Amino acid sequence: MADRSPPHDSLKEFVASAPPLQRAGMRALIALARRPRGRALLARAGAADQLAQVLTSLGHYDDPAVAGTLGWDAEAVVGRGRALRRAEGRA
Amino acid sequence: MRLVERIHADVCVIGAGAGGAVAAAELAEGGMSVVVLEQGHRHDPDGFTARPPQMLARLYRDGGQTLTLGNPPIVLPLGSGLGGTTLVNSGTCFRTPPSVLDRWARDFGLDVSEESLRPCFERVERALSVSEVTPELAGGNAAVARRGAERLGWSHGYLRRNARGCVGSGVCAFGCPTSAKQHTGITYVPRAERAGARIVTGASVERVLVRDGRATGARARMASGATVEVRAPSVIVAAGTVYTPSLLARSGLGGASGQLGRNLSLHPATAVFARMHEIVDMGKGVPQSFYVDEFAEQGIVFEGVAGPPAYAAMSLPLTGARHAEAMADYPRLAQFGVMVSDSSRGSVRSIAGRPLIRYDLSGADLGRFRTGLSHMRELFEAAGAREVYLPLPAGVSPESARARDLKLMAFHPLGTARADARATHGVIDGGLVLHDAEGVYVADGSAVPSSLGVNPQMTIMALATRLAFTLLGEKVPACPS
Repeated sequence: MADRSPPHDSLKEFVASAPPLQRAGMRALIALARRPRGRALLARAGAADQLAQVLTSLGHYDDPAVAGTLGWDAEAVVGRGRALRRAEGRA
Repeated sequence: MRLVERIHADVCVIGAGAGGAVAAAELAEGGMSVVVLEQGHRHDPDGFTARPPQMLARLYRDGGQTLTLGNPPIVLPLGSGLGGTTLVNSGTCFRTPPSVLDRWARDFGLDVSEESLRPCFERVERALSVSEVTPELAGGNAAVARRGAERLGWSHGYLRRNARGCVGSGVCAFGCPTSAKQHTGITYVPRAERAGARIVTGASVERVLVRDGRATGARARMASGATVEVRAPSVIVAAGTVYTPSLLARSGLGGASGQLGRNLSLHPATAVFARMHEIVDMGKGVPQSFYVDEFAEQGIVFEGVAGPPAYAAMSLPLTGARHAEAMADYPRLAQFGVMVSDSSRGSVRSIAGRPLIRYDLSGADLGRFRTGLSHMRELFEAAGAREVYLPLPAGVSPESARARDLKLMAFHPLGTARADARATHGVIDGGLVLHDAEGVYVADGSAVPSSLGVNPQMTIMALATRLAFTLLGEKVPACPS
């Protein structure tokens, strides 16, 4: 089944799967990155800013609408895979 | 403790990754009764979405966010479920280099040689349909690296992989949607089941059970809280390099030499991006299809890495507007990895049930990264790159990079229960049996006594094959040519 869940949900799932300390840290970074004052704060902390960018861009570019403009169609990849598996009787 | 079930078997295998699944299948097909206790789950490929954040969350331990502590911290993604890390690796298949086997024989007293392991490798390669990637499937990323290597006259080639019917979906690390990648969860595990092995998923093994210095089985806790106990005179521990030492330690095993949890090597790696003039479409084709081994003798190997936009975006070493601008040109982005055969050594121990992994990059390995990054820039420039993006802070050159400047990941943890013929130097002997308990064996990356310089899955599988046939009391059959 192709997954059309919005990027926010898939990022939430990713963050929720992290070990407890990292999870808390990532939630704080994402919250900061979503607010202008938070972004200003992050801009002064190099490593934290980079981590925040990793997280926000992971969510942003996972959005099927955004990925589609860059030539990536996850649904099509999954669909083709499923059809091949069925046709060739694979697990 | 609620004991729900007690199972009797000839062999209890803990873990269904590269080592455990192979051993379980060979033993079951050889006529032994086998129970496999696997902490992860059975993944249905219909649930694979080709979306990195979701697949990281579902197919990896801790969402692929296992971290080492040290300078620099290193992300160490580990697979979870039937197949272990073979479920999410790139599928690259190298036999153990002969020079490494020679070293193991010389330094660790192990009875290993290219000749003696040949039947094991052949058997595994046949089981996993290992073959060389074709240029058509290798993708645009490989074409860029090949062009650069050819112009520089550097040694290179297409990689051998365990794949059958691959169409280059580009998401090996996020669950193969065609089931083309022949990971152990869809090869050896079904073979084991057909031969009568019982596979118990969701089973967190608490202890290996030993009485009077001899294995008697293992006890596992299920998610429901119920306990399963397997009674078996042979136990094969294959929980992986990070988790096997903790399991042995809490079972009171493997500690006599003082080496348990030590000697961790990782093959630390990083990746360089380049913006090309041509369309690369790195998300199409086999992500890891090509290698450059010109500097292998210095402990530096280049291997392809690639993925969908979300994957590229999180690893692209740029920020702000420059990141957005480069990502807008994603179809023209190429990426290649620098992997170091490390001389640094770390350790693993358990704190409150979670692994604590310590690893500091040595000066020698830092030097390898400096050299590797310089050469990688050279490779992309020779290939005609418009811009090269090194994984270093702004203003830092490869030559002046410090360990803390590097952004590293690692995919090949090895050595934490290393084999050594001497009980004073290793956790297990050359036959992979614990020095301090009979009937307890280790068959995963933790047994591998040193860094390999190449992807380790074939080495682990070959050693597991040899162990299985030793337990069966048979020679590994030669493969028909």
